[in-house]
Amino acid sequence: MRGARVVQNFRGQRGVLWGGAGTSVDILEASLARLGMTLARPAEIDPQDIDAHRDVLLIDGDSPLDATMEGPSGSLLSLAPAIGLVGVEAPSRLKALMDLGVTAFLRKPVHAAAVYAALFLAVNSYNRLRALELDLVEHELRRRGRRAVLKAVVRLMQTTGIDDDEAYAELRRESMRRRMSIEACAAELVAGASSSSADLKTPDLKKWA
Amino acid sequence: MTQAAIAIGVLFSVDGPYGHVSRSMLNGAMLAVDEWNSNAKAPLRLVPVVANPGGELQRYARLCQDMLAQGLQHVVGCYTSSSRKEIIPQFEKADALLWYPTHYEGFECSSNVIYTGPVANQHLLPLADYMMEHHGRNAFCVGSNYIWAWENNRILRERLAAAHGRVTAERYFAVGETDFAQVIQAIIKARPAFVFNTLIGVSSYCFLRDFRAACIASGIDQPAVIPVASCTLSEPELEAIGEAAADGHITASVYFSSIEGAENARFVTSYAERYPDGPVACADAEAAYIAVRLLALSLVEARGCTDVDTIKRAVAQVRMAAPQGPVHVDPETLHAALTPRIGRSRKDMGFDILAQAAGPVRPDPYLIWNSPRFWTMGAPPVLRVAS
Repeated sequence: MRGARVVQNFRGQRGVLWGGAGTSVDILEASLARLGMTLARPAEIDPQDIDAHRDVLLIDGDSPLDATMEGPSGSLLSLAPAIGLVGVEAPSRLKALMDLGVTAFLRKPVHAAAVYAALFLAVNSYNRLRALELDLVEHELRRRGRRAVLKAVVRLMQTTGIDDDEAYAELRRESMRRRMSIEACAAELVAGASSSSADLKTPDLKKWA
Repeated sequence: MTQAAIAIGVLFSVDGPYGHVSRSMLNGAMLAVDEWNSNAKAPLRLVPVVANPGGELQRYARLCQDMLAQGLQHVVGCYTSSSRKEIIPQFEKADALLWYPTHYEGFECSSNVIYTGPVANQHLLPLADYMMEHHGRNAFCVGSNYIWAWENNRILRERLAAAHGRVTAERYFAVGETDFAQVIQAIIKARPAFVFNTLIGVSSYCFLRDFRAACIASGIDQPAVIPVASCTLSEPELEAIGEAAADGHITASVYFSSIEGAENARFVTSYAERYPDGPVACADAEAAYIAVRLLALSLVEARGCTDVDTIKRAVAQVRMAAPQGPVHVDPETLHAALTPRIGRSRKDMGFDILAQAAGPVRPDPYLIWNSPRFWTMGAPPVLRVAS
């Protein structure tokens, strides 16, 4: 897993409250201030300006929810770490918050003693899940690239007469020399070989470079 | 002029595993009540309602419930964090105020508690810095198995790691445990720069006695070679440890009875006169004394109004000349600004003050100004070739 370091000090971060006009913020604002944080409402900020490293969304589940806070395409998470503010515990509202990617809940009315724990869970769960998502994307890309690796190994075997282990080792050395993944290197070599039949007969891989 | 009488709860476990410390706290609180009431010009009188939960959590809840049911809005009490956590919901429900008068591990800001004891940036961090500067950067942690030890060890580990030091080991024992033979041998074998002791009550006294005896048996000058540091050791506890092992322990505290100054001289004398059979004045007694006095001054500031919000506003206005020096309450966190000091215990049951801050230090209960953004991993273990 990528390095998802545990955040324990939230000083300098910003809470962004996505809630109805009636949402009471006194205790929330005071609690965040004790943790060195500020609280803003969406009207006071540019949604494009949301930064997952700085901001924590506080999404009121009793207010109409929209897709503004949704995260990048393909992600189950929101734009930034998010805490769902739960008033009505109806499954529909909890699911709506979960679908937006909240990773912690905070009961309304907000209890000061619960804010740090919710923040700790929301930010660190978000970071861990985001790291896992990025890992998955990378693994998926590499999985797709295995076909090119197979093709490159087979062609090397055919053109040079070496066995599969040697062919793979040669391919690996070449990818390291080019400072790219073995899948990307194989894809380049196979694409290059397809466009030039002469390359396929070349026993020395370095000529593919 | 007729003085208004205001009842306040006083809730300390003078029996049980930490009864010794709680007795000091009760004494400090009652001294403050008596001094206040002896002033005929004071606009109000305090009427203490005293209860002893005996260290049992269920009794804390029951006794507290009784106090709040009687209409008391202010209670001075508790020593352990577990007892405080047990009764805070009752204070929140009744919208009453707990005046919590002792050091604790922080990471709490209840709007129904005034915290008059120090938090980590006022005791543990100055201690860690002092120990690293004067003794070394690797610590062996021994503690009672509850939040005080767990969290303080984490903070120490972080502070040491930031200075390329490390915690060699962490060992935890049940509250009240008295058999430390195994861990003492482990410490002597490990030879850390210092031991960080978060044991409480009788466990701490037994450990310090047995550790000193084991070091003598091994020919080790324990205070010089493997000093024991803590944030809790106080003068009455030195008496409980006994003369043979009382000296040479390093303690971080905001109060020692040896502090110079007229206010402390008066406090120590009054305390000794009121409690001639001991225990002697100490940090816990002073913190409870401060709590009651701040409460009384806040009630005056609020013109006798006991309402919690009014008192919280009032306490932020109060500036008190305490035995340790000037003290005030930070309105944002409701924790007291206090003066950190480092002391070393003596055979005559007192402390020499080795270092002290220039003035009161603002409380930082969540360590937002005193800890790194990211959780710090301990240093990786040093691996050796086994064969």
